[in-house]
Amino acid sequence: MSFNLANIPEHHITTDVLVIGGGSAGTMAALAARRQGLEVALVDKAGIDRSGCGCAGNDHFLAILESGPEWDTKEAFLKWYHRLTQGLVDMAIPEKVFLSRIKRMVAYLEELGIPMRLDATHNDYIRTGSFGQPGDYFINFDGRKLKPTVSAEAARAGVKFFRRINITDLLADGGRVTGAVGFDIRKGDFYTFLARATIVATGNVTRLYNNQASMPYNSWHSPYNNGGAQAMAFRAGAELKNMEFVNYTLTPVNFSASALNAIVGMGGYIVNGLGERFLFKYHEKGEKGPRWVMPWGVYWEIKEGRGPCYFDLRHLPEEAINHLLHHLLPVDKNTFLDYCEQKGVDLRKDLLEVQISEGQLPAFLGSVSGIYVTPECATTVSGLFATGACSVTVGSLSGSMCVGETAGEEAAKFIYRDKTVKPEVPKEELTARREAIYSPLKRQGGFKHCELENKLRQVMTLYVGIGRTRRGMLTALEELAKLEKLFPDVRADNLHELMRVHELRDMLLVAQLIARGALEREESRFGLSHYRGDFPTSREEWHCSLHQCLQGEQVVLKRVAPSNL
Amino acid sequence: MAILIDETKCNGCGLCDHNCPGDIIHMDAVSGKPLVVYPDECWYCGACRIDCPENCIKIIFPLISL
Ligand SMILES: Cc1cc2nc3c(=O)[nH]c(=O)nc-3n(C[C@H](O)[C@H](O)[C@H](O)COP(=O)(O)OP(=O)(O)OC[C@H]3O[C@@H](n4cnc5c(N)ncnc54)[C@H](O)[C@@H]3O)c2cc1C
Ligand code: SF4
Ligand code: SF4
Repeated sequence: MSFNLANIPEHHITTDVLVIGGGSAGTMAALAARRQGLEVALVDKAGIDRSGCGCAGNDHFLAILESGPEWDTKEAFLKWYHRLTQGLVDMAIPEKVFLSRIKRMVAYLEELGIPMRLDATHNDYIRTGSFGQPGDYFINFDGRKLKPTVSAEAARAGVKFFRRINITDLLADGGRVTGAVGFDIRKGDFYTFLARATIVATGNVTRLYNNQASMPYNSWHSPYNNGGAQAMAFRAGAELKNMEFVNYTLTPVNFSASALNAIVGMGGYIVNGLGERFLFKYHEKGEKGPRWVMPWGVYWEIKEGRGPCYFDLRHLPEEAINHLLHHLLPVDKNTFLDYCEQKGVDLRKDLLEVQISEGQLPAFLGSVSGIYVTPECATTVSGLFATGACSVTVGSLSGSMCVGETAGEEAAKFIYRDKTVKPEVPKEELTARREAIYSPLKRQGGFKHCELENKLRQVMTLYVGIGRTRRGMLTALEELAKLEKLFPDVRADNLHELMRVHELRDMLLVAQLIARGALEREESRFGLSHYRGDFPTSREEWHCSLHQCLQGEQVVLKRVAPSNL
Repeated sequence: MAILIDETKCNGCGLCDHNCPGDIIHMDAVSGKPLVVYPDECWYCGACRIDCPENCIKIIFPLISL
């Protein structure tokens, strides 16, 4: 390694707003704060132009356009969102962070030249519905250029980009978050960011569970999102919400790709090994039911001997299958058709076998788990905001972009309210952080990060995965505590591995939050998401959110009443 | 293997390295060409291929995922 541990170059950046994570939400947050006339630093461990879950493009843009039908109104959306999230998301949030912005956001993307109107004949939107929506909320669009286009807008507006900087910890001064530290994953340099407001936007949490192909990076959402925001915010004292709800989807067998939305949105069926459509047994809307219904149904079909299960598109009219094959699937996951070709599946003629994906902390619409925030995207710690899939707001791509914009504007307001604050951090804290960041590079022997990570996935899959009991959760907590003890022995042989070690550190913390929440919540809810065999139904006394936060060294749990419409 | 780069067509622009969300591809200082350094950590997302000006990246799924 060319980089010299004894002489690490340091960079100290002072800014108004620091945004950690330059994905769909973070980039919008940076742009919005910059538009308020502030200095903004946007930091990501990847290249920003194409990073995060939207790196190679998304194809569904959820929008309420008030185009006429009853379902296309704010009221109908709110009713549906309340039903979907079972009251576990604060209902003051969607109006403030999403509904009030979405029409402008769609218009903005059109101004930027993003192809939103796939109906060329009528120069109109094509919209489809899925997941229990009362109407066709998803604009089908070509989002392949979305991420680089919005990133270029942020750069043009004067947002300062810091690429390939892995942020590891937030900095605090007297109970207020004042920035963050990290390192350059290619050069090794140490970075300190001091900011008057900090926004975390590092997305969802993956790589916690095994999948069928035993390829941890072959995940439904980005395998490079590992709970950085959730873990950093928690360590800084912020409240996290409903961490026990882990989510599953259906993906092609052995390939954890997004596709379900496109497939059921276009009228695709899900059939079992006997060729039967079976989902109506589990939900009155069948394939048009909420997402959780589909892995739930597949789970029981397989368990009861009626597997394997498949996507069936053979009945679709030519126009629908063409739309899927040309506009949706190759945009939803850029490599989807490569997979079909290499597997030898022709979707017009063949069934495509499905699997239940590995679990992850959600990143999609209707997510009830993550960093608790107010409708202003403020966490419970002063100076710290959270946005996008890591926060409990409105998920999905369009949700993340709108919530990102909200966070940027609200962070700006926070700064303008109190102009005198100068972000500071004690010198000793910086020295200690720096020491901790690089220490895995100094170790000889010990474990490699993947050894602990594999064990973590094994424990989570066995005890905190599909089907949970009190005993299993206690076992998991014990095993995770053992891993926590081993963590100081994990070594990194280069800077890339150093990044993976820091990811592991955050995943270990998130895993414990999930297990602790799942132990506490003595009921079942959202299908496989939290299925306690010892409490197999939902229970009135648990119709509430569960918050966790750190007070000193102690984890404090509290129940928060559900939100009414 | 994860992705296969046709070196005869590659112009060494480095966009694939820049776009990869997972730090999987590194430009080789000596040859000036991209190296797939961490194939086992590939997401199979296609971000490296999408902007490649020479269209010389192929996605190869391992047997276990087919
Ligand atoms: C293949 C695919 C298809 C999808 N299709 C759709 C769709 O059609 N419609 C829809 O609504 N939604 C879709 N989604 C979901 C949607 O993309 C996400 O909900 C959205 O991108 C979340 O935005 P985010 O900014 O919160 O996270 P991301 O966009 O994932 O951004 C997180 C960023 O944080 C960075 N980061 C992580 N940790 C650190 C750290 N420690 N330090 C610095 N940086 C860090 C990452 O590199 C990344 O750039 C899809 C997702 C995938 C994976
Ligand atoms: S993007 Fe294409 S041309 Fe450019 S370095 Fe990568 S493989 Fe070569
Ligand atoms: S497919 Fe995605 S993760 Fe794999 S090398 Fe290309 S950009 Fe990187």
